[in-house]
Amino acid sequence: MPVRVNPMFIDDLYHFGAEDVQLCYQCGDCSTVCSHADDVYKFPRKSMRLLQMGLEQKLETTLEPWLCYYCGQCSEQCPREADPGETMMSLRRWLISRYDFTGIARQFFKSRITEIFAITIIALLTGTFLLFYGFSGGNIHIYDGDGAFLPSPFIHKFDLSVGAILAVFLVINAIHMWYLVMVKGTLFAIPWWLYIKELYQLPWHFLTQKRYSECERKREHTFYMPWMIHLGLMLGYVTMLILVMVYIEELQAGPEIHWQVHIFGYLATIGLIIGTIYFIRSRFKKHYIQYKKSHGTDWVFVVLLFIIVITGISQHVFHRTGLLEAANITYVVHLMSVVPWLLRMPFSKWSHLIYRPLAMYLAAIRRDALVRQVSILNSYPVVIK
Amino acid sequence: MLTKNKEIMRTGVFFCQTGDNRNLNIDAIAKYSANLPEVETVQILRLKPLPDLRFLRDQITNHSLGRIVIAGDIPGYYKPVFTRAMAMAGGNTDEIRLASFQEHGAIGENAMDRAKAIVACATMGVPFPLAAVPGGNPVNHTTLIIGGGIAGIQSALEIANAGKQVFLVEQTGTIGGHMAMFDKTFPTLDCAACILTPKMVSVGQHEMIRLLTRSRVVAVSGKPGSYRVKIRQSARYVDIKSCVACNQCTEVCPVKVKSEFDAGISLRKAIYIPFPQAVPNAYLVDEKNCTYILSDGKKCGVCMKKCPKECINLNETDHTIDIEVGNIILATGYELLDVSKIEQYGYGIFPNVLTSIEFERLTNASGTTGGRIVTKTKRFNKKTEKEEWIFSPEGVPPRSVALIHCVGSRNKKYNPYCSRVCCMYSLKFAHLIKEKVPNVNVYEFYIDMRAFGKGYEEFAERIKQEGTFIIRGHSASVEMNNDQMVVKGEDIFNDKLVEFKVDMVILAVGLIPTPGTEELSRMLGIQRDSDGWFSELDYNGSPTDTDKGGIYVAGMCQAPKDIPDTVAQASAVAAGVLGSLTSGKGIGHMSSLTLSEIEAKAKTLHTV
Repeated sequence: MPVRVNPMFIDDLYHFGAEDVQLCYQCGDCSTVCSHADDVYKFPRKSMRLLQMGLEQKLETTLEPWLCYYCGQCSEQCPREADPGETMMSLRRWLISRYDFTGIARQFFKSRITEIFAITIIALLTGTFLLFYGFSGGNIHIYDGDGAFLPSPFIHKFDLSVGAILAVFLVINAIHMWYLVMVKGTLFAIPWWLYIKELYQLPWHFLTQKRYSECERKREHTFYMPWMIHLGLMLGYVTMLILVMVYIEELQAGPEIHWQVHIFGYLATIGLIIGTIYFIRSRFKKHYIQYKKSHGTDWVFVVLLFIIVITGISQHVFHRTGLLEAANITYVVHLMSVVPWLLRMPFSKWSHLIYRPLAMYLAAIRRDALVRQVSILNSYPVVIK
Repeated sequence: MLTKNKEIMRTGVFFCQTGDNRNLNIDAIAKYSANLPEVETVQILRLKPLPDLRFLRDQITNHSLGRIVIAGDIPGYYKPVFTRAMAMAGGNTDEIRLASFQEHGAIGENAMDRAKAIVACATMGVPFPLAAVPGGNPVNHTTLIIGGGIAGIQSALEIANAGKQVFLVEQTGTIGGHMAMFDKTFPTLDCAACILTPKMVSVGQHEMIRLLTRSRVVAVSGKPGSYRVKIRQSARYVDIKSCVACNQCTEVCPVKVKSEFDAGISLRKAIYIPFPQAVPNAYLVDEKNCTYILSDGKKCGVCMKKCPKECINLNETDHTIDIEVGNIILATGYELLDVSKIEQYGYGIFPNVLTSIEFERLTNASGTTGGRIVTKTKRFNKKTEKEEWIFSPEGVPPRSVALIHCVGSRNKKYNPYCSRVCCMYSLKFAHLIKEKVPNVNVYEFYIDMRAFGKGYEEFAERIKQEGTFIIRGHSASVEMNNDQMVVKGEDIFNDKLVEFKVDMVILAVGLIPTPGTEELSRMLGIQRDSDGWFSELDYNGSPTDTDKGGIYVAGMCQAPKDIPDTVAQASAVAAGVLGSLTSGKGIGHMSSLTLSEIEAKAKTLHTV
């Protein structure tokens, strides 16, 4: 299969955050220290090499960037300070833009202004729409029940439609990813039953992020716990997403607390608030190597999430304390940040929520298929005479 | 032919210099050169690609130029175009002169003046080195050499054999330096001691060489040609002239410390001789560990009583020597990087992780195991009541050995530069291990194989054919799994992650300047480069001179280099020194030469 070389590839990747790829002299220190590199998936050196050679078409079919969780050990060890960890991060950003068929992700990663502009427009549109809807039928002094400013059945439909848009983009991108990796990039046969055999990988990696925890084995620092924080944050927003998409009517009802739903909400909020504060603090303090360089999109993510969490908590508190006007206004602000945040997901790093478990799943299938291939080849001895 | 020289030579000066250079103001140099005699036109081309041929030809014909001066950092790059243009215009192609700022050292504080002088010399057709001769000061015929390694020894012998007095100052108790510690030299696998010890003996016996061991230069004053140097000589406590090296003092000495000469892998006494072939061949006392000296004469002192020649005097004191010399040669050598700060290799934690110099002493026939390559054995030390790992001749030979290149070298955190000798000595180690230990597996982890010298590439090929596993990929970690060392790495050519169980790891540690380099550079006013080595005047043109007149650099202290290069440079230094002694022109600082001096000199040369 001929592969086309893109000599401008490194310059292109600069916009995604990889600045020092050219410094790499291929010593292999990074692959040696990486706790995830194995005989089938060798990285980061190989990815660095493909990148230096401009083999864009080959890189877009690899899964290696998704198998890296950026513990930063490779960057600490690198004798050339070529920052392989950050390069893998940039490759993930680049892969997201490759999977995305609309080209929006690429624009967001390349220009922070475009992203902020798009977010502002969507936020303003949402705000206008909600205010228009609220003032046309509801009463700003009522939060729930009849005549509410933003009645919960309406919000439910609104949430579901936003969720549907999100799902369409994500599913198409995931299929694109599958096509690139398993069809275009895999030159050996993959039996269909491997897809079923390895299916357990999807929920397993989604819910536990076990590979991330393996990164930390070599750490000596007592308070190094990005895995736990990350898991808490992820479970928090997945729980919140389910609550909002399915149980919004129970959530919004009554000044009294519905413990059977709200308890999940509270737990999720704790996870979210600890997570956002930890990551904002880390990005400011830069005490771990993986937080030394923050891409523009990283800041947009954490800052928006912070606004969402704060407004979500305040509207909940205002509702219970009877400040219904304030509750309604914060609710509008909350939704104004939630909608762009959700719609931004398929075009941003946040989509690794889907891509990562999928990559683990596909990687396991590929590994099995490769092992099978090798054993088939080995079982036919080469007879010369 | 005098009349022809006095004809006016219409000269065109072309500046082919891109703007990215240092602190040179090209416009100012151009203005200066416009006022030089016979200069017809001055043009600043600022080109990186080649200039237009027809444009140049038109310039030459329009101004009817007889001589062209190309000025810039690398004017030689543009010379072919100018030569063709000159030929097309029908001029004399021999009259194209280069004014190279880089070659003639237009760097540093007086870069502008130097650059102007370079252009002036070129327009007058006078070679710059002829015009820029610092000098005037009469030269004292005595030479001081700081450092008694192979570089210092070679320079000392060359100068002394020419009949000039030499002072050789050495910090330790014997000359010989690092080369005396080596077993074999690459790529010929000659015995290092067989080359070095005859030279050491000639130094010791030479009537024109005065050897000052255990000495340090503490102050230098004066000007080129007559430096006054203060040398502090630590007490040796043993009279060199009467000591016959009978070893009776060492036998009775109760103190045991790590031997510097054996790179710390064996023990020596407080009164000792560094190695049997030491020059001067006399014992010395380590005042930092001697019980008698530490207790101010209250305890011990048995060696004094035992000595049959009565040559030990533990009450001897240090003294200083003042000498006056004309030239000073720096040959201070190198040290190994402290490898325990590179934690991933476990040096100092795992007993069988060795530095290159430790292995060199282990495999040396005069070493602690008599040249047997063995792993360390555990032994209970009764004195400290601790278990320790030592080399003993009865030790078990390793079944597999890993050699790791580029430890601390080519690494932005430690040494950004290549230490230049590690690849070759690691290959040599592989050969020695294969030769001495039967059925051993040797793994070499390298990044780039730098086999650059005469016979080196062939040597590397030979080692590969001997069955050493040469792995392209730098190992990043040495770990201990169930009392078995495991070396991990990536085999890049075979696209595999590899893990080898090994019994011994040898680290090819990077080289750094000796700690005294900084002090010495301050004392003498010599520049050091960003890596800490002494700066030479010009890397290509005068690699042995410094910008101070009469001070030279030889060997490793200028930059890492192997033994052949060190010896060559040391001899080159001797030629420079002897030249300054016999030319009768005197010497001076290159940096103190002013523009007007060079101009005046060039004018006199020009008119002749």
